[in-house]
Amino acid sequence: MTLVEEPDDRDGQAAEYALGTLEAEERLKVQALMAADPRFAETVRDWERRLGELNALIASIEPPADTWERIKAALFASAPAAARLRVERSLPLASIDRAEVASLRRRLRRWRGATAAITAIAAAFAGVVVVRELRPEILPVQLRPKERVQVVEVTKTVEVPVPSPQPAQYVAVLQRDAASPAFLLTFDLEHRVLTVRTVGAERQRGKSYELWLISANYPTPRSLGVIGTEEFSVRRQLASYDAVTINSATYAVSIEPVGGSPTGVPTGPVVYTGKLIQTTPPGFANQSP
Amino acid sequence: MLTPDELVGLLAAVAKGDQGAFERLYAATRAKLYGVVLRILRRADLADEVMQDTYLKVWRSAGEFDPRLATPITWMVAIARNRALDLVRKKSETSIEDEPGALDAQWDVANPLERHEMTEQLRRLLVCLDALEAPRRELILLAYLGGFSREQLAAKFAAPVNTVKTWLRRGLVQVRECLGS
Repeated sequence: MTLVEEPDDRDGQAAEYALGTLEAEERLKVQALMAADPRFAETVRDWERRLGELNALIASIEPPADTWERIKAALFASAPAAARLRVERSLPLASIDRAEVASLRRRLRRWRGATAAITAIAAAFAGVVVVRELRPEILPVQLRPKERVQVVEVTKTVEVPVPSPQPAQYVAVLQRDAASPAFLLTFDLEHRVLTVRTVGAERQRGKSYELWLISANYPTPRSLGVIGTEEFSVRRQLASYDAVTINSATYAVSIEPVGGSPTGVPTGPVVYTGKLIQTTPPGFANQSP
Repeated sequence: MLTPDELVGLLAAVAKGDQGAFERLYAATRAKLYGVVLRILRRADLADEVMQDTYLKVWRSAGEFDPRLATPITWMVAIARNRALDLVRKKSETSIEDEPGALDAQWDVANPLERHEMTEQLRRLLVCLDALEAPRRELILLAYLGGFSREQLAAKFAAPVNTVKTWLRRGLVQVRECLGS
């Protein structure tokens, strides 16, 4: 698949993205470009505005009554939500309770729009997306293979999150070497939800992949659960770890019997590892590494 | 449906965390957004999920809405459509051929509009679409209204995918030139 494209093609892609005719992979790529290039994002929005008038041709249909109940439950689970949402962003992570993380789990599983850009940018390092099309300054310099196993370095220690219009996002590429990324982890700091995307890992017949957190704060690796067959899975288990641990930990994937390690520690070979790095969206110059 | 100005006011209030405004915004827009996503997804459970995602996003991003760049409803519809499309493109097994209710672009246009929905922008867009040669107009309408991918359009129009891509892109460029903005 050729990924080098002419400017004309990018304009056509913007138009087709807004129209909706692109396949999943192309949509991811457009979303990554939008995150990296505000002018391109504007081109897409212009198309959305032009074509969006057609919504008037679509008949309105009443949604089920409980749709609103679920939206309310997800947003305003414990009032007063508006104040709470703001406060949360300025509080240490430990103050976010597990229940709240759980309530966001479903939303985030489907939350491709925002995470897609991050995963696609991460994919750039794997040669999936042409790096030169993304603004080089958003690509952490440190994202270079240093040794055979550990290829992702932590670019900065994460402090308590500051209030911001967009939550900080972190990404880890778990891989054996630079040419074979296997899993992309994206981490939503605001909600401490880790999303796992299988990108290159081969399905293991009769085996399971299990994700581990390895930290100097714990004597043994801590299981974050078995990586399911679904492309995305969300790990609520991180809710019990503090931010420094989460950000300094090494994430590793081992091959285990189906259903995960029977002993609570890795029993099979560790095949992929990586660390979280912050990806800084445009407009977040103050958070640049 | 409220007027665009009223919706702009509600979005501004939502941006400040006004839950009451959010509920009124939901009441005013839910049926339109549900209609949009249900057409694309054709499954009530998926449409319900996308509705939740969409309104959570609206709640969080209301401050980013700029009335100079979009109307509230086109902004919200774009959010809902993008989420629905991301979902349906991932679910390639939801084949259009399996759907007895496959959409008909002509039917959509024949569908009488409520008078206040016929904005000047829509009228101009329809004039520009009408100027396209067949089948570009039908392709664009099916894609926008029904969420058809290139491959699905190629199957429906019995044309190679690359031909469909060319038709779509030329048609879209013509539309932009015709609109002049």
